[in-house]
Amino acid sequence: MLWIKNGVVVDPKNRINAEKMDLFVKDGKIVEESKVKKGDCKVIDASGKLVVAGGIDMHAHIAGGKINTGRVMRPEEMRVVRNIAGKFRATVGRVLLTAPAIGYEYAKMGYTMSFEAATPPITSPHTHEELDAIPIIDKGALPVFGNWHLVFKCIEEKNLEKLKSLIAWTIERSKGFGVKIVNPGGVEAWMYGGNVKGLDEQVPGFAVTPREIITWLMRANEELNLPHSIHLHCNNLGIPGNYQTTIESIKLANGLKNEKRQILHVTHVQFNSYAGNSWRDVASGAAEIAKIVNSMDNVTIDMGQAIFGHATAMTGDAPFQFTLHKLIGARWSNKDTEVETGAGIVPIGYLPSNPVHTLQWAIGLELGLLIESDKVVLTTDYPNGGPFTEYPYVMAMLMSKKMREGELKRVHQYVQKATTLPSIETEKTLYEVIHMTRSLPARVMGLDKKGHLGIGADADIAIYDLNPLTTDFSNEFDRVYKAFKVSEFTIKDGDVVAKKGELVKEVFGKTFWVDASKKVDVEAVIPDVKSYFDFYTVQFSNYGVDERWLKKSKRIEVI
Amino acid sequence: MLIIKPKKYFEVCVEAEITPDLALKKVEEVKKFKVFYGNKIVELGELFEISKEGEDKKIVLGGDFSRVKWVGTRMVDGEILVKGSIGTNCGAFMRGGRIIIEKDADDWLGTEMAGGEIIVKGNAKNLVGCAYYGDAVGMSAGKILIEGNAGNYVGDKMSGGEIIIKGNAGDFIGMEMRGGVIEIHGSCGFVGGDMRGGEIRIKGSFEVLPTFKKTEKGWVGDVNVKGEGVVKNF
Repeated sequence: MLWIKNGVVVDPKNRINAEKMDLFVKDGKIVEESKVKKGDCKVIDASGKLVVAGGIDMHAHIAGGKINTGRVMRPEEMRVVRNIAGKFRATVGRVLLTAPAIGYEYAKMGYTMSFEAATPPITSPHTHEELDAIPIIDKGALPVFGNWHLVFKCIEEKNLEKLKSLIAWTIERSKGFGVKIVNPGGVEAWMYGGNVKGLDEQVPGFAVTPREIITWLMRANEELNLPHSIHLHCNNLGIPGNYQTTIESIKLANGLKNEKRQILHVTHVQFNSYAGNSWRDVASGAAEIAKIVNSMDNVTIDMGQAIFGHATAMTGDAPFQFTLHKLIGARWSNKDTEVETGAGIVPIGYLPSNPVHTLQWAIGLELGLLIESDKVVLTTDYPNGGPFTEYPYVMAMLMSKKMREGELKRVHQYVQKATTLPSIETEKTLYEVIHMTRSLPARVMGLDKKGHLGIGADADIAIYDLNPLTTDFSNEFDRVYKAFKVSEFTIKDGDVVAKKGELVKEVFGKTFWVDASKKVDVEAVIPDVKSYFDFYTVQFSNYGVDERWLKKSKRIEVI
Repeated sequence: MLIIKPKKYFEVCVEAEITPDLALKKVEEVKKFKVFYGNKIVELGELFEISKEGEDKKIVLGGDFSRVKWVGTRMVDGEILVKGSIGTNCGAFMRGGRIIIEKDADDWLGTEMAGGEIIVKGNAKNLVGCAYYGDAVGMSAGKILIEGNAGNYVGDKMSGGEIIIKGNAGDFIGMEMRGGVIEIHGSCGFVGGDMRGGEIRIKGSFEVLPTFKKTEKGWVGDVNVKGEGVVKNF
């Protein structure tokens, strides 16, 4: 039992804004004062400190084939030693971290949950093996659907019931959390060396278009009523002028409604917000994107903020990765994942002296500032935009115009004419930023026990050395940044796991997965699935992950 | 001058970043210098006999050092004389000074070296003057002289400096090379893959890749990467 005394609580979901109050924890949950014996409680004195829910990273690449290939092809990333083996495991990594380092670094920063954003269903055993090696945080994985031949087949047949069965079966088999779509149709076209250029271009070999793939998966996802909406990585990522494709894709959500959450989540939008015709006249399309997102009540996005320094581009968007490799001349790995999807990995670095990198940095911030706080989640698309350990930088930047002015002075001045960032006066409040990193991602992912501190919520709590009542967020940005970088206390399921940046205890979080197999007739799609095993390298019986293989399984049943 | 001799045969490799700076310290201090023996951190004095003659900035390594790695790492001046053979990563990141090896050198000799001189009287193994895996640039300045033969991957990603091999070398010489000179007095195998600049001179025979154009200057390439490196006989 835990008694967190006199903390200044910010909890946007329960509309608590910087109120001094006590929290009580019992059996890993937040409970009412009457449920605990105060004498038996371990007391944490949080007076003058900020108490918030543990952070949730709803889009990162933390486990599976891509990050592992990244580790293999970037030995230079593994030369930074973060922890020497002892009470805790040995960890290394500069931006690309080893599995235990990911858990430790999140915990030190006050984050307690992270989602692996793209896992091909066939590689789910690998993904879960790695997720199980990540300590402390809760995890989940999103299987990818947008380029799978079986999905194309269901859409060609215009058979929504079959598509629903396929999604339910796949998510259950791969112990996944939701429906991820990466460059719909484009990765299939890449199998023949091409890409799709617009929403209405036909996918080679199939009578489907990206528009159909997105709308059909969206409809199937809504009829299944999964906790998370479809999670879309748009077409034409990383190509100047792509903001129009993004706007068209966002408009596909028109007309659908869900009371609890959005219909469409568009991810790492920074990479999809470029105006202009080439890299020479590239500019920001963030203002246009912000306009459309603000005008719709069923779409959310996440930023995909670029951070200056090292990063590694890794996405399921294989054709884009080839373009990037050709553009910057860095090393490139390509992955072809049987009939399901592909992927690519390219090392990159964002330099303040490079006009394009600066533009990317500015666009992320524009999106964060121009879009209503209830619709934009803070991410760096780790490790594509940079390390998740720099989230505090983004938080401080959103809250301080003065900090942005200082940063704008040291970067390439191309941003002055190509973006609206210098003219943006908005300063997000702490309440909004806490919402963007806690309660909003929890709502977007459909997790009602996460991201808040109400009675019954999971006791994932972060305490920072920052008093919101006395801090001037516009001017004291340095202190704000440092305070968010290292939590005073990180509490996971009621256990103190980190204290002032030092690990205290290693626990293992749960792996969340969704089971919707009761909702549809899963058997209806099995003959089709089985017929595809002529093309797979594994047998039907070896496909996917059994629940007993997971270290700590948390099944969310959809009824 | 500091004289260091192994006390015993090493069961596992020793990782000792010995540089001539040690020669300026008192023997007692040198004995406390920390090195890795396998996965354990031990003091230099536990594994080696150490004595001192005079105050010049020079280290003499007597006996068998073929299982001692990282000798001369990041050294900036002074001299190291190795009486026998030396282990891997000798002279890595070296910026100045001189290392003389009287017998053979192991892999990764002079990796990413940026100045100074290494002389090997015997043979060297693979990866002479190259870049560590994942890094973009190998040897950028300085000189490596090998009087015997060298192995594969000599001068990988090299951007400056000079490597001279009096004997033969193996395959993949000067891969992804951008500048500097490799001179081989004997023969070698494949040369200059993805080479962008610099020069490789070979006295004996070598295998040229099909991506090099024959010109007056010699073989120019690698055309795959629009390179202007030169491979020629001399």
